[in-house]
Amino acid sequence: MPTADDLRPLAVDLALLGATLMLFAVDLGLPHGRKRWLGVLSSALLAGLFVLTFFVDTEGSAFGGSYVGGAWPLLFKRIALAAGALAALGSVDHVDRHFPTRQGEFYLLMMFSLMGMTLLPGARDLLLFVVAFEMMGIPLAMMASYAKTEDLKGVHRHAAEAGLKLYLISAVSTAITLFGLSYVYGLTGSTRLDVIAQAPLSPLLGVGMMLTVAGMSFKVGAVPFHMWVPDTYQGAPTPFVAFLSVAPKASGFAAMTAMLLVAFKNNREQVLSVVLLMSLASITIGNLLALPQKDVKRLLAYSGIAQVGYMLIGLVAGGSYGVGMLLFFVSGYVATNMGAFLVLEAIAPQRTGITLDDVKGLSRRSPWLAAALLLFLLSLAGIPFVVGFWGKLMVFMAAYQAGYGWLVLFGALMAIVSLWYYLQVARAAYMGDAPTEEVVPVKVTPTLATAIAVCLTLVLGMGAYPRPFIEQASAAARSFLGEAP
Amino acid sequence: MSFINDHLLSIIVAAPAVAAVLLLIVDDEARLTMRFISLIGATVSLAGSIQVALTYGMAQGGLQRPEKYPLVPSLGIDLSLAVDGWGVSLLLLTGIIIFAGVWATWTLTDRAREFYILLLLLVSGVLGVFVCQDLFIFFLFYEIAVLPMYLLIGIWGSRGKVAADGPFAFVWKRFDVGGREYAAMKLTLMLLVGSAAILVVIFAMYFSAGGRTFDLTVLGHASYPRQMQLWAFPLLWLGFGSLAGVFPFHTWSPDGHAAAPTAVSMLHAGVLMKLGAFGVIRIGMMMLPEGAAYWAPYVGGVAVINVLYGAISAMSQKDLKYVIAYSSVSHMGVVMLGAATLTVDGWNGAIYQMFAHGMMTGLFFALVGLVYDRAHTRWVPSMGGFAKEMPWVASFFVLACLSSLGLPGLAGFVAEFLVFLGAWQSTHWWWALPGIVGAWVTAVYVLRAVRDIFFGEGPRSKEIHHLHDAHGTEWGALWVLGIGLVVFGSYPRLILDFIHLATNEYLPRVASIAAQLAQAP
Repeated sequence: MPTADDLRPLAVDLALLGATLMLFAVDLGLPHGRKRWLGVLSSALLAGLFVLTFFVDTEGSAFGGSYVGGAWPLLFKRIALAAGALAALGSVDHVDRHFPTRQGEFYLLMMFSLMGMTLLPGARDLLLFVVAFEMMGIPLAMMASYAKTEDLKGVHRHAAEAGLKLYLISAVSTAITLFGLSYVYGLTGSTRLDVIAQAPLSPLLGVGMMLTVAGMSFKVGAVPFHMWVPDTYQGAPTPFVAFLSVAPKASGFAAMTAMLLVAFKNNREQVLSVVLLMSLASITIGNLLALPQKDVKRLLAYSGIAQVGYMLIGLVAGGSYGVGMLLFFVSGYVATNMGAFLVLEAIAPQRTGITLDDVKGLSRRSPWLAAALLLFLLSLAGIPFVVGFWGKLMVFMAAYQAGYGWLVLFGALMAIVSLWYYLQVARAAYMGDAPTEEVVPVKVTPTLATAIAVCLTLVLGMGAYPRPFIEQASAAARSFLGEAP
Repeated sequence: MSFINDHLLSIIVAAPAVAAVLLLIVDDEARLTMRFISLIGATVSLAGSIQVALTYGMAQGGLQRPEKYPLVPSLGIDLSLAVDGWGVSLLLLTGIIIFAGVWATWTLTDRAREFYILLLLLVSGVLGVFVCQDLFIFFLFYEIAVLPMYLLIGIWGSRGKVAADGPFAFVWKRFDVGGREYAAMKLTLMLLVGSAAILVVIFAMYFSAGGRTFDLTVLGHASYPRQMQLWAFPLLWLGFGSLAGVFPFHTWSPDGHAAAPTAVSMLHAGVLMKLGAFGVIRIGMMMLPEGAAYWAPYVGGVAVINVLYGAISAMSQKDLKYVIAYSSVSHMGVVMLGAATLTVDGWNGAIYQMFAHGMMTGLFFALVGLVYDRAHTRWVPSMGGFAKEMPWVASFFVLACLSSLGLPGLAGFVAEFLVFLGAWQSTHWWWALPGIVGAWVTAVYVLRAVRDIFFGEGPRSKEIHHLHDAHGTEWGALWVLGIGLVVFGSYPRLILDFIHLATNEYLPRVASIAAQLAQAP
């Protein structure tokens, strides 16, 4: 019988469960026509939970070590909660406009998915891992195809495809992970990560580890399980894509890091080549396939694949430095990519597909939005004084220190390739002429504007003064690996 | 006042950026306010630079006015500023150019706010590079100086097209060669490839020195393995050199300068290309002396190609901006040549050439902007006889030309003379010869340009009566830069003393290693 003290590492997750149930109750009581407040409420709840994470002590472990607390999981929880709060805020008007009768479910699904995400970083048991993974993934597939039944004007004609692709590839990748885990369990006789770490290396265990890691690449959207990314991004509601493109990635990386550096700690060399290959392939394929894209959401999808490749570099570098910088990169990426998609939502709230032509003339239609978009794109490209630069730099530095100088050069050169397509979007915004002679100002709703402003503040703030964030991430990574602070 | 005095360097660097932020809150229609804010930002930087120069202690020399703010202490990244003799002179140059540049764009109306914001941010970056004493921050400022260029050229650039000609005409048409968007993208991508190379070397130095600090002085006194220096130096040379217009990585420069709006051309050719050359000397040669000594013959050889190739290319251009742009490539070759000599006179000449060429090319581009503004063409064969209508513009143009070809009494002469002197003393005395030939070819093309544009009978000489001389604010840039050329040409010690001080401090270490290498079999 667990005591209250045992549940301390789960404080945030339990509070999130409470918030979710509260949202459910409010949804039942709220009359139609007032449902848009659910979005504001869920955003406020998540923001409150985010603040809560600064005041709770989650040190220790629960359920006999299957679940741990501490700085590392807590930081990932913060990232997920912040992403959720921003995404909910950015979704309010989209959901109210497109799915007026089904608003409650949208936010509930988001909260359930978030629950999976907050559970994942602390999981130290294979079963808990798989459960948390699925808890995170299945609601996402439902949300991706959320617009399907509202398909009255053909606006959401890709919604079914978006959801189905996400779901099917999710299922396949889970199957692969489970297949790998069955080998791991069979050879080690335990589902606990720390026990698995003690097992001697055998060829079969190597196969199991590789399959596990490869399957996990789905959640983060790395090659070879990246095919769902562009189609899902294109067809799903834009504010949801803002959420999908960042939050599951962060938690997916938490899981991958735990697998590589805890469960496979002593046999890490064996899987490293797979991770390195995934990283190289993601950077190359993501950047090259983004070049010809005309749909901005698809472009950002491929760019996201490339970004994941850069994050994987941190994992390749390993050590507290490598994963710490990975964590910093991820947190910067969350603010950046979320912001970029929210700007797209602001530009074309009526549609799910946004082409370069829609962006044209944006700087005349709305100088602030254009400037925000430019900064987000520059951050994605890794340009100084916005957070993306520090992220890439730190990961590169970790890689150089670990002896991967060539990987740094390769990554930096591919980052320049990426700049080409990011600048295509900036070019459309600044140099393209609007399709119509008359300059129509973009109307941005207050909720969406707030969400964008928060993202922009984060991107600029973390870029101008990255020190506290870098130090937090390093400290979390050191506590994760049990090193002295 | 002591606060200002203690933080003078930060103020100089930050003033343009602060002005840029202030511009954000100005009303869209208040163009005059915007111009004044920009002008104030530029003036503060210029005045601060003059103050730094006046109060620089010549007796003790070295790094002065140190300021240090920890940024990421766990990695050893500090925002540390300090100024040496080179810094003083290059700060002054940047201050003068941006001051003149704001005057030169006084009449800009299209999206003026964004223009000034980007321009001022860029200037902050340039100023930062010249005074920062932290390798990492150096790189940051360097990037800031490079990146706004994309938008500056892409949005406000001129629409001039290059006639598709020659065996590769289809390629030219396909990519819109000569168009401003093409030029902007080419410039950005080429310079960033250089940055990628620089970044790797920065990591290599950081980890090889092992002190977990990016401090330039510490890194400069670390001894790096010879093997590393040999691969790292050429990477730096490529990285910084692509911004300095080193052959064959100069190709962004003519397109970029031709497409850029007036103030941006002034700033880019006048100051930004110097960042590249400064980087090669300050980071490449000083930090990696063995690599520099080994590669110096190649650097000098390529610089000679630069001088000649740039001059000959300039001779065959018909577009006025391309003439000036190629002349920049040629003159930057002189800078690199001076650096490669590894002699006191050569290095003094290299830095002085940065200064002189900055002023001169700034004046050139300001004048080209004026001519284009009046005649709506940059095509030299379609001009002629303009001196009658715009005598002062013609006079200033002649002044810039005379400095460009190295007439004694003007700034260009001092610089080129020193560089050729240095070349003669170096182990490769013959470098002086092509250099001098380059100066002669320069005389041919600049004087020919003067003749074709301002004198003689042009094809349209009947219809040029609507042209008029500079007026109002347009005088600002012309007088500032014109007077500068004469003053610094007739009394070079004003700047040269500063430069000499720093050279004397930095060169011996590099030169002695080069001498050891030369004796070794």
